[in-house]
Amino acid sequence: MRIGVMICHCGNNIAATVDVEAVAAAAREFPDVVFATDHMYACSDPGQKTLEQTIRDLKLDGVVVASCSPRMHEVTFRRAVERAGLNRYMFEMANIREHVAWISLDRKRNTEKATDLVRMAVEKLRHDRPLTPKSFDVQKRVLIVGGGVAGIQAALDCADGGLDVVLVERKASIGGLMSQFDKTFPTIDCSVCVLGPKMVDAGQNPRITLHALSEVDEVSGYVGNFEVKIKKHATYVDWSKCTGCGACQEKCPSKKVPDAFNENVSLTTAIGIPFPQAIPKRATINAAYCLKLTKGKCGACEKVCPTGAIAYDMTDEVVTEKVGAIIVATGIDLFDHRKCGEYGAGRYPDVVTSIAYERMLSASGPTAGHIKRPSDGREPKTVVFISCVGSRDRSLNRPYCSGFCCMYTAKQAILTRDHIPDSRAYVFYMDIRANGKGYEEFVRRAQEEYGVEYVRGRVAQIHPDPETGKLIVRGADTLLGRQVEVAADLVVLAVGAEASHGAPELAEKLRISYDAYGFFMESHPKLRPVETNTVGVFLAGACQGPKDIPASVAQASAAAGKVLGLLSKDKLESDPQIAQVAANRCIGCGKCERTCPFGAIRMRELRDGSKRAEVVETVCQGCGICSVTCPVRAIQLQNFTDSQLLAEVNALCRTWDETTES
Amino acid sequence: MAEESRTARLIEAVKAELPNLDFVLGYSRGFDALHATPISVRTGADADQLVFDPTCVENLATSLYGQSGKRIGIVVKGCDSRSIIELMQEKLIVRENLVIFGMPCRGVLDLAKVRVRADITQARGVAFGAEEVRLLLPDGERVLPRRDVLADKCLRCRYPNPLVADHMIGPEVERAGEEDSYADLMAFEKLTEQERFDFWKRQMSRCIRCYACRNACPLCVCKHVCLADSREPHWLSAEANLQEKWLFQVMHALHLAGRCTECGECQRSCPMGIPILLLKRKMNRELKELFNYEAGVDPEAVPPLHTFQMEEEKIKDRGQLW
Repeated sequence: MRIGVMICHCGNNIAATVDVEAVAAAAREFPDVVFATDHMYACSDPGQKTLEQTIRDLKLDGVVVASCSPRMHEVTFRRAVERAGLNRYMFEMANIREHVAWISLDRKRNTEKATDLVRMAVEKLRHDRPLTPKSFDVQKRVLIVGGGVAGIQAALDCADGGLDVVLVERKASIGGLMSQFDKTFPTIDCSVCVLGPKMVDAGQNPRITLHALSEVDEVSGYVGNFEVKIKKHATYVDWSKCTGCGACQEKCPSKKVPDAFNENVSLTTAIGIPFPQAIPKRATINAAYCLKLTKGKCGACEKVCPTGAIAYDMTDEVVTEKVGAIIVATGIDLFDHRKCGEYGAGRYPDVVTSIAYERMLSASGPTAGHIKRPSDGREPKTVVFISCVGSRDRSLNRPYCSGFCCMYTAKQAILTRDHIPDSRAYVFYMDIRANGKGYEEFVRRAQEEYGVEYVRGRVAQIHPDPETGKLIVRGADTLLGRQVEVAADLVVLAVGAEASHGAPELAEKLRISYDAYGFFMESHPKLRPVETNTVGVFLAGACQGPKDIPASVAQASAAAGKVLGLLSKDKLESDPQIAQVAANRCIGCGKCERTCPFGAIRMRELRDGSKRAEVVETVCQGCGICSVTCPVRAIQLQNFTDSQLLAEVNALCRTWDETTES
Repeated sequence: MAEESRTARLIEAVKAELPNLDFVLGYSRGFDALHATPISVRTGADADQLVFDPTCVENLATSLYGQSGKRIGIVVKGCDSRSIIELMQEKLIVRENLVIFGMPCRGVLDLAKVRVRADITQARGVAFGAEEVRLLLPDGERVLPRRDVLADKCLRCRYPNPLVADHMIGPEVERAGEEDSYADLMAFEKLTEQERFDFWKRQMSRCIRCYACRNACPLCVCKHVCLADSREPHWLSAEANLQEKWLFQVMHALHLAGRCTECGECQRSCPMGIPILLLKRKMNRELKELFNYEAGVDPEAVPPLHTFQMEEEKIKDRGQLW
């Protein structure tokens, strides 16, 4: 075999702490290496040209490039190798940047480690075989998980591009958090008036199949051919018959049900439609409060329903959808302020969350747009806003900035002054983060035009004053360097974003990663912001990290664009670096079949009745679990065979004999 | 005597089943009173040679795998029955093709322990009492306390009665051992890393790579495709050095993780007396702690390393988010 080696300087990234010439010189002594050189930027056009020319001139059979992480440029070099006439899998990469140069300044030992890594890559390459990818058909459908503004936008864009869309929403209506907002910053336009038409479009678009009150139960398959099991929770109302007339809601005698859509500020009925603009506009029974379902008597809704849609015996149902790609747009949940003792830990009725306040401001909300104190229904004259509740707080394991709270706090302060002109609004803040188009101007308007008083400092304590019924908010004004106390009628907590509950479980079903806070990980923070590391699964909106509406919508359209690009092809290529069974070694024990997370192994019966494992090539993802489970090593991962790994280990441990007496 | 009548009942049961079977694996008297030897019974005359007593040390389940299509009878002790269950769990043998003669057992001899107490080459006979073993030597009778000469596994035996049997040749006996405390392993783990390393280097240097341990293991089912003999993949070279010997034992232990029933055949068969069961006991204790799993007890159980699930109960990858 004739192997060429190229050691990359990566400018100074590698060359500063690794003697690249010495590594190249050492590589020339490795078995089968006929050529080794160093290059300023191997990935640059001249670098790739040199590589291609050398392969042709020296009739190389394989190439090792020692440079950055293969996550970065493996594809680049595989293409270069292929252009020069080699099989693209006759290429190995040694990561001497992230794994060597960037983690130590010790030039001598770095050079030794880089040499070892190159030696291992050469040993692996010596055992590589040319591989050929297979191509397979794709499903031109996309699954979108989450029907908030991001999910809706992605669904509309995909449908517009000619794809069939399956939209899954956990709640009874799409719309997400945005449907709960009264107005949006920085334009103070009505939130549901902008979102509503999009919701209607999503509900009516013939290309979009909507599964509300449903969750993703199980995901199998792979890019181009995912099979998704969707659990449709029982609504106890046949939605094919329900017209959304609302008669049931009027007659339902169980009227003390916390209204989740209104953040439990008010009560609702056991059957009903969550809000006037809901899509689908269909009634749902809350089984926990329904008298018929809990006590067996009542049946009022069944009597009044003009279409006979009530179905008390309905059960959860699982439907299976086949899709080619998945967009995850599960959004966020808001921080639970009951964890904060200094704000009363949820004991004071007049300390409310920003989202509950949003419902109070809304004309279609529980107070019909009139701001009222939950405790006595009086109009508050002094309203205190506290920002960064559950954001930028390391003690709560929420060190990140939620990004949008500064802005919605300014908006809510403006709206407060608008609704109650003789009121005073105070905002306790740490810093004002207003880095969006028109955002800084908006905050200035709140301060200058609306006279909202901004106090830079944290609130240390809120305690009720029994005599006046007010809440004493005690905090610091760090600009004036003194304690301040405000006697407030109402306190609004600007609760921050946290990952949606159940996000890690969903991530595991989708085989994507998530960070320490439960936000889904993008494939690359700058260059692949909507892709995940699972091919065919994309991210949209705040499930990837806190985002406001414009950013969520932009990312949703970006994800839709990615999906449209992916599914514009009729066939996709599968990675040939997958498991392969040596039938002569296989003893048919079936352990591989049981451990395979992808269901990619079948047992095939021979004429003598004995069994052999068989890999379904397009389903196998090359994870290697079967290979390590197989007691006889009959299943080997192509180009990651035992012999290759052993050769690498031997290359690394060749000094073992010398240091250990036997 | 009770043991003799049990043997008679065993012979009777085997003879009754023999017409339906290709053969029956059992024990016959070996070259002296202290040895029993496996026998495959095909005729009534063969059956008359069957014996069962504390000299029947071998685990006959080792011979079961690879006899596809044959109907086999087998004589098992409690410990041996766990190997059968494990083979069934792994779908390596078919229960319908087996007829199991279960022999409740109060422990078998560890000849190495007898050997240090008496010259067993001179033994003319042996008798087993409830608490003692009587050796008939040329210079008279030698009485050894039973506990002193039983195999280690018998002293901590929790399954003296076969867990699976078609014919139970009773009476069943009460279990002798408490819950396994892994005292031997704990004592070993108290040593420093260097001491443990030195221990294994010393032990492994004595290995002669005969692979008796592998051949005696009822769950080493790779047979002709064993990695120890394989060129592709080439895990082990033919060199007689320490790391090759050691690598094989580590491989053996890892392949048996969650499968080994601690029948002890590997260690018993080792001609060099290397305590390799300790490696397997280490793996088993980890499995017990991590998955609360014991191999070869429940035919329906799925061994924890033979399945895949995202989140194991005791392995927390997800961390605490809320």
